[in-house]
Amino acid sequence: MAKTYDYLFKLLLIGDSGVGKTCVLFRFSEDAFNTTFISTIGIDFKIRTIDLDGKKIKLQIWDTAGQERFRTITTAYYRGAMGIMLVYDITNEKSFENIKNWIRNIEENASADVEKMLLGNKCELEEKRQVSRERGEQLAIEYGIKFIETSAKASIRVEEAFFTLARDIKTKMEKKLKEASNPPKGGHQLRASEPQKKPTSWLSRCTLL
Amino acid sequence: MDRLVKDHNEKSQYDLYLQEIEGIDDYWGPTFRAVFDNNEHVEFKEKVEERIKHHDRDIERLCNVYYQGFIESVRELLEVKSQSKNLNNQVVAIDKHLQTTSQAISKSGAELLKARKVQSNIAVVIAQLNLCLPVFLTYSKLQKQISDKRYYPALKTLEELEHQHLPHVSNYRFSNQLREKIPKYRDKIEAASMSDLKDFLENIRKFSPKIGEVATRHTSEQLATDPTVIGRKKKRNLTNQDSTTNFSEEDLSAQELIDFSPIYRGLHIAHALGKVSNFEAYYRAERTKQARLVLQPPTNMHESEESYRNYIYAVLGFFILEDHVLNTGRGLITKAFLEDMWSMALSKITTALQTHSAYCTDATLILRIKDLIMLFCTTLRNYGYSVKPLWELVRELRDHYTEVLMQRWVQVFREILSKEDYQPIEVHNQEEFEHVLLTFPWDGDLPDDVTFPYSFPFSRMVPKIYQQVKEFIYACLKFSEDLNLSQVEVDEMIRKSMNLLLTRSFSGCLSSIFRSPHVGLQEITQIIVDTGYLEDANVYLDQFISNITGEESRGATVGTIQGQYGMFRVAREDAVRQISEKLRQKLNEFLELETYDWTLVEPKGHASSFISDIIAFLQTTFHSFTHLPPEVAQVACRSACEHIAKSMFAMLMNTEIRQISMGALNQLNLDLLQCEQFAASEPVKGLQQDELLAYFAKLRELLDLFITWDWPTYFHDYAQETSKYKKVQPDIAIVLLEKLKEGDRKNIFTVLNKNERDKKKLLETVLKQLKQLSVK
Repeated sequence: MAKTYDYLFKLLLIGDSGVGKTCVLFRFSEDAFNTTFISTIGIDFKIRTIDLDGKKIKLQIWDTAGQERFRTITTAYYRGAMGIMLVYDITNEKSFENIKNWIRNIEENASADVEKMLLGNKCELEEKRQVSRERGEQLAIEYGIKFIETSAKASIRVEEAFFTLARDIKTKMEKKLKEASNPPKGGHQLRASEPQKKPTSWLSRCTLL
Repeated sequence: MDRLVKDHNEKSQYDLYLQEIEGIDDYWGPTFRAVFDNNEHVEFKEKVEERIKHHDRDIERLCNVYYQGFIESVRELLEVKSQSKNLNNQVVAIDKHLQTTSQAISKSGAELLKARKVQSNIAVVIAQLNLCLPVFLTYSKLQKQISDKRYYPALKTLEELEHQHLPHVSNYRFSNQLREKIPKYRDKIEAASMSDLKDFLENIRKFSPKIGEVATRHTSEQLATDPTVIGRKKKRNLTNQDSTTNFSEEDLSAQELIDFSPIYRGLHIAHALGKVSNFEAYYRAERTKQARLVLQPPTNMHESEESYRNYIYAVLGFFILEDHVLNTGRGLITKAFLEDMWSMALSKITTALQTHSAYCTDATLILRIKDLIMLFCTTLRNYGYSVKPLWELVRELRDHYTEVLMQRWVQVFREILSKEDYQPIEVHNQEEFEHVLLTFPWDGDLPDDVTFPYSFPFSRMVPKIYQQVKEFIYACLKFSEDLNLSQVEVDEMIRKSMNLLLTRSFSGCLSSIFRSPHVGLQEITQIIVDTGYLEDANVYLDQFISNITGEESRGATVGTIQGQYGMFRVAREDAVRQISEKLRQKLNEFLELETYDWTLVEPKGHASSFISDIIAFLQTTFHSFTHLPPEVAQVACRSACEHIAKSMFAMLMNTEIRQISMGALNQLNLDLLQCEQFAASEPVKGLQQDELLAYFAKLRELLDLFITWDWPTYFHDYAQETSKYKKVQPDIAIVLLEKLKEGDRKNIFTVLNKNERDKKKLLETVLKQLKQLSVK
């Protein structure tokens, strides 16, 4: 069966409740915006295929619930993720401060080489801004990750954010593929979608029971 | 003379002659002859001389004797002369005096005479005038009556004039003139009365809406004060009482507002003129024309209540007047005529109202129209008109009203749903908490001491929808007010409408929500939860209706099973279907990520990532949606498993995949194991242990058969209940086997191997066997 894509990247959106993760995703996947706030329950995902340097890349983007009560469920998804968007709300100081906790979470649960990116959302609400762009940039530099201020509502730089993350993952993956000059098995190379460095993902643990 | 006689005697003869001559004055002839005859003439002559001398002496002596006396007499005469002259003067004076006096008298007399004459003339004139006067009086009366437009008396006066008064004065010229004028006056009166009638007709045309209005108001007042109308009008009663006092001056019966006298007068006049039939015909024709005009509804009637009102008032006024004319008009119109006109009108009114109300999309307006029609009916009935078709119309209107209400509530529901956040209501204080409980009857288990923030299980939509359904019921009820329906009918109507509203409108709104791509699993889940609570609240709605209509609650009767839960069930069922559908969509997204290498030599030793993801997702989902009612979760979970099983099976059977390796089958087996494990893990409470596994059974048997290559058992137990592979149909096995065969062909070199050759042979045999079974 002909594959409809070259790569499958699993991305994860995390951040405090209400920073606009679902909206960012909604903007990216449907190019739409919904004003009513619906708190995400558990986990949801959207899929969008993008064209990147001539490759068809399927992005399966997991949208996690920011609420504490879903924390155990959502952390389970960290490991499978190849890219993580850390989202905070520029009008909400607390959500920015919590980014550190989220990063700690990632360090504890995600694979070490996961691509991360910091998003300062709701940048259209300039008059309500509590977190300056500089502080965002400062934080990003501290952790060695990229930073973009976005607005899901005004559709500012959302595409760009995802494309950037996807491109970074792609670059990293292609580099690894090149390094692994001797792929272990014949059919494996085609299966770029599979996370390379995680022969036993948490998901497969069940299988082995 | 005695001496003469003595002389004669003395001389004898001669004396005798003398005597004779003296004695006789004439006829002296014979004497003279005698004298001459006797020749005595000379003696005689002497004698006559002697005689003359004698006489002269006598005369002389006599004159002597009488002279004195004569003088005296002359003297006396002279005296007398002066005296007489005196007397004459006196007489003349007197005469003159008398003359003057009598002249005045005669003048007065003449004047008197003249005056007498005048007097008598005057008397004659007065007599004549007395004769004429009534004529003039009558005539002037006539004029005045005409100018006062009192034509009937005028007509009577005319008659009086003609027959009583004019004959007496026929010799006068004016009498003739009057007589000539009389027919003209008749004509004039007739014309005037006709024009009066026209004015009247015009007037009532203008005025009849007003009459209709007043009559309607009276009816509504009467209804309001009517003790037979039950208590539900109390409220209105109160408000009306204030207003009735204000009406006192208008508190006439409607028809009293109109002065019908022109018509009576006209009729009298027509009677008097003997032209009743003309008059009648004219009146009827005109009224028929007017009726046609009145019954023609304004083209934009559907736009406002005002035009409906005007129309109804006009019609009403018209027929009230007509009724009054029928009752008082002494046969000006007949019952049959009016009935004809009414039946014509009725059909027109019905059609007009029907067509126009059909355009109406405003429920309030429909209500108003209904009220109007009701008042119209009642008023008409008070006047003795039959209004049956209008009841039919009201019934139709009711259906239309319900329809319009539905549409409105669809909007309301849409609005509610569009603003809905599908989050459980969270309250932060007692006040909010109680407010929610106040708007929605929830008899769920409330904690004894509520800690805030407290979350209700349902979202804001629930109380809102519940309130709106109540509102809807009220709105429905508004129509049945004054309709004089029995409680059972009202009850039935409301229940029917509510049922329709919930099963059709509300469900429709929900459905359209489901269709929206933005609505995710969690929204639908909340909707399901919400509909569940709404369903539970049905009992209260039922009680609510019963309270309103006074009908016994249906809760206790048979209606419960179908009626009660049916209402939200449609919405709920749809929601449940949707949740499965949404879940399937998600699953499809996963399945699209399927990356089987169908020529895989060796399985990877763990499940494919998309299957792992699916299972993880399902687990998370069912784990997260804790508030999803178990039965719904079960349905969703079943449908999910079924879908996965079917999809995996379909992958195997996909005609585009021509070759399949055993390695790939083993990989599929691993994935299936993962699924089975999920199925057996009771992901949702309350599922039968093997229920979910059953969905995978077919695939499981197929894979088992192929992986163990247990064909002898398959053929041996074929078509037996106890067969391990009873779900594997031969043609399916054939398809897969063909694919395997294709996959094997690649390894062309292995054909040389004896072992492989046997294998190949076996495969052929199996295929043959299967084909035989398949043909059967």
